[in-house]
Amino acid sequence: MLDIRRIYTNRLRQKKNKWAILGLLIFLVFVRISKGSLYKDFYYFISKPFWPGQFQREVIKNSVEQEFLIKFEQLKEDNKRLRSILSLQRVSESDTISAAVISRKNGTWWRQIILNKGSKHGVEVGNSVLGPGGLIGRVKETSFFTSSVILLTSTESKIGVWIDRLQIHGLMVGLGNDYPKLIFYTKNVDLKVGDFISSSPASTLLPPNIPIGVIKSVDEESKFKKTANVILLGKPQAIDWVQILKVKI
Amino acid sequence: MYKFFRANFFVISFLLIPVIFLWHPNWLGILGTQPYWPLFWLLPWSMINGSYNGFIVGFFLGLILDAISFSGSFTQIPGLILCGIWFGKFSEIDNVLVAHFRYGLICCIGSLLCGSLIFMQLFFKELSNNDFFLLLPSVKNIFTQVFITGFLAPFFCSQMFKIFKNLKEKKTFN
Repeated sequence: MLDIRRIYTNRLRQKKNKWAILGLLIFLVFVRISKGSLYKDFYYFISKPFWPGQFQREVIKNSVEQEFLIKFEQLKEDNKRLRSILSLQRVSESDTISAAVISRKNGTWWRQIILNKGSKHGVEVGNSVLGPGGLIGRVKETSFFTSSVILLTSTESKIGVWIDRLQIHGLMVGLGNDYPKLIFYTKNVDLKVGDFISSSPASTLLPPNIPIGVIKSVDEESKFKKTANVILLGKPQAIDWVQILKVKI
Repeated sequence: MYKFFRANFFVISFLLIPVIFLWHPNWLGILGTQPYWPLFWLLPWSMINGSYNGFIVGFFLGLILDAISFSGSFTQIPGLILCGIWFGKFSEIDNVLVAHFRYGLICCIGSLLCGSLIFMQLFFKELSNNDFFLLLPSVKNIFTQVFITGFLAPFFCSQMFKIFKNLKEKKTFN
């Protein structure tokens, strides 16, 4: 009885081994054909807890930021030096005045802010006003203690701007809403959504290279013009403190 | 002090309009648009004092508001003068509920008139441009202002009307 049972088990084992060997072979062929992708994916999951963590990411991010800052400082110095060689206008730290917004009208027809610094503090008509993000307007009137700023979104605002990517000048006109219109009096301008707009490097009214906004949408072509809508980087509806820049010509 | 305040309430409230106009409280606006504040004062005052006085006060209001809003493109004077004259033709009615809605409706039309006049001025100024970009933002400005002015008018105008009326009656008795 015992012998019979042993023979039976051996047979079963032999059968199982055959299937196991066959399965292993198929698996090896699959691994070979898939060039080990299965192993790589498996490794992806088991190594996940040991990946470089948040701390290392922050260290790298900080170093990159520091590198950018150093490069930015170098470029700023270079820019200053080159502008002084070319006798173009420049703005120094001592030419800025910090001011608080004491009245804000950024809806309807009037788009203006009133600042708590006036002619007593050295603010002059035509000075540029910067908020966090970029240019927001120009000083239109000054009283002894206050100055009134006309915003870039106002219907009265018309300034020349510089498109960095295309290296061309355009005219930015306020429409009385939050999105000023950028106008080019030529059709052959390859404007794209996301193009960056700054003040003209050769401007005599505004300080050079001040960020202004980004193109939000490009309008359909008309006969003689190309126009686009601009979203401003400085948000006059939200800021409480601004910098008044005095341009040195 | 109280006597002085009562005697000069007209002047004090008149001088407060530019302050509110400058204050421009955002929480009272809609889509960044504020109600047209001078109408809340001009309507009850003109209703009590008549068209001629409404004309004069509308002119002065326009002068002051133009001075503080320094807009070289347009003036608010014509709109406020017309509103002053028109508001002066209305008389008081007894039904309180109807009176409230009437303030709202009159201010809506007044705001529409002022907004349209400002828009016309901008339109003629920008007529030289081939494309008139100001059209859509202007329409939006006019209608949001009409809405918010009409919405808040019953609250402000009825109170101002009460105060002006009481002061005038007491002055007449004295």
